[in-house]
Amino acid sequence: MNDERMWGPAKIWAARLVFLAVFFFLWEKVADAKLIDPILIGKPTGIVQFLWQEVFVTQSLLKDFYWSMAGTVLAFLMGSVAGILVGMLFVTSPTTEAVFNPIFTALNAMPRIALAPLFIIWFGLGLGSKVAVGFSLTFFIVLTSTVAGGRGVNPDHITLARTLGASESQIFRKFVLPSAVPVIFNGLRLGLVFALLGVIGSEILASENGLGQTLSVLAASFKTNGVFAIIFLLSMIGVAISWGMTSLENRLLRWR
Amino acid sequence: MNMAMQPAPAKSGAGTVTKPAPGSVIFDKVSVVFEQANLTAVSDFTLHVAPGEFVSIVGPSGCGKTTLLNFAAGLLPAGAGRGTMLVNGKPPSTGTHDLAYMLARDALAPWRTALGNAELGAEVRGVPAEKRRARALDLLDKVGLKGFENAYPKALSQGMRQRVALARTFSLDAPILLMDEPFGALDAQTKLQLEDVLLSLWQREQRTVLFITHDLSEAVSMSDRVIVMSARPGRIIADVPITLGRPRSVRALQKDHDYHELYSQVWTKLEEGLSQ
Repeated sequence: MNDERMWGPAKIWAARLVFLAVFFFLWEKVADAKLIDPILIGKPTGIVQFLWQEVFVTQSLLKDFYWSMAGTVLAFLMGSVAGILVGMLFVTSPTTEAVFNPIFTALNAMPRIALAPLFIIWFGLGLGSKVAVGFSLTFFIVLTSTVAGGRGVNPDHITLARTLGASESQIFRKFVLPSAVPVIFNGLRLGLVFALLGVIGSEILASENGLGQTLSVLAASFKTNGVFAIIFLLSMIGVAISWGMTSLENRLLRWR
Repeated sequence: MNMAMQPAPAKSGAGTVTKPAPGSVIFDKVSVVFEQANLTAVSDFTLHVAPGEFVSIVGPSGCGKTTLLNFAAGLLPAGAGRGTMLVNGKPPSTGTHDLAYMLARDALAPWRTALGNAELGAEVRGVPAEKRRARALDLLDKVGLKGFENAYPKALSQGMRQRVALARTFSLDAPILLMDEPFGALDAQTKLQLEDVLLSLWQREQRTVLFITHDLSEAVSMSDRVIVMSARPGRIIADVPITLGRPRSVRALQKDHDYHELYSQVWTKLEEGLSQ
């Protein structure tokens, strides 16, 4: 890392900004000159204008943002709580796992977005159907990581626990659970990203509101600047999610 | 000198299993057979460890040393251990409070601080929080880790981690300590330091120690008796009393003439056993 050929952080940031500036400048020029039809690629200044208008003036995107986030958070919370509980049940009761594991594997193999129309029939065009799709993704991811984490306990810890005379519940609370936390955390991080994916995907299919619904309306009317603006917002949300999870992890898992 | 078949020292009562004293460990004609693997790990092993005695078992890898400790700790599968095995006068049972087991690897919980790890054993055994904390703090001090109470294992060197494991082991009230090559992975200097730490802890309380090692100098410098085992199936080929005085300093012994004399005696026994 101390390679002298490696630039310092300030220089790297500068280079990054220069690259982005050149990229957006060229994009703007290509669109202006109609080298590629702006209907296909939009235009950076148009995208900024759209964002300004819809976020700060009419605030219609903010409302969509809140709806999508509410769906994502609900799907994530329900999916991860259920995933952790069922995962712990599997870890503590191998019989239960033997019975249900193949069934869950089959359920998990279904392309979840194909279930979205069914969820829309069941739960309507509001929050319910989006939460259902997000939940169906998050649950299995968190379940898998919880089982993996629970299985990954150090055999030396189990030997030590047995020689100490630990009860099954002590072994679980003092050894299995804490050693599973980092692996479960990886599942939670992925689960949150997939909750967002499920909610947005379900909104694109059919919904009354949300960023995904607005995205599909804009795309259907060839408002490319708007489509790019929402994609930009979504990627910002994704970045914020992984940054938030990382800082939470660093605080909770200081021992690593 | 005929040490090969010498029975246990007089204080443990040679050969009889009539009335075991508290803190004693008795193996009487013990064999361990793993039927699934069709393997006889130990055969006809008789050893009486008196209360407060520090006994080391040395022998080549795979001679069943660890298996003997596992038998005493109640960790063997049912039916594998045969013969009479008495720990503190009772047949072995998993998790008995009569003994504390220290493994070859430190087995520290990485999510607990040094203090949390030192307390762990007593915590599992239901010692009240204040009492076990005071005890753990005292022991961390004794093993030379004052100031590291709140450090996580990742920040500790291997030697320091093994010191924490020593504190965890000694924080238990068990009269018998089983130690399975606890210093095997340490470098020579750190090993000498930790051997002295172990001796000073043991000297205070005089608990029974059954110490497994393949390091002859470690066995001779710390023990009251050294048991030499043959290759598998392990049997006793020598039982050598170590007549060096107490308290000892392992580091000072390195230049001691009597120590080297005893060392070469045990070494001869070991060589004879291996060439048989």
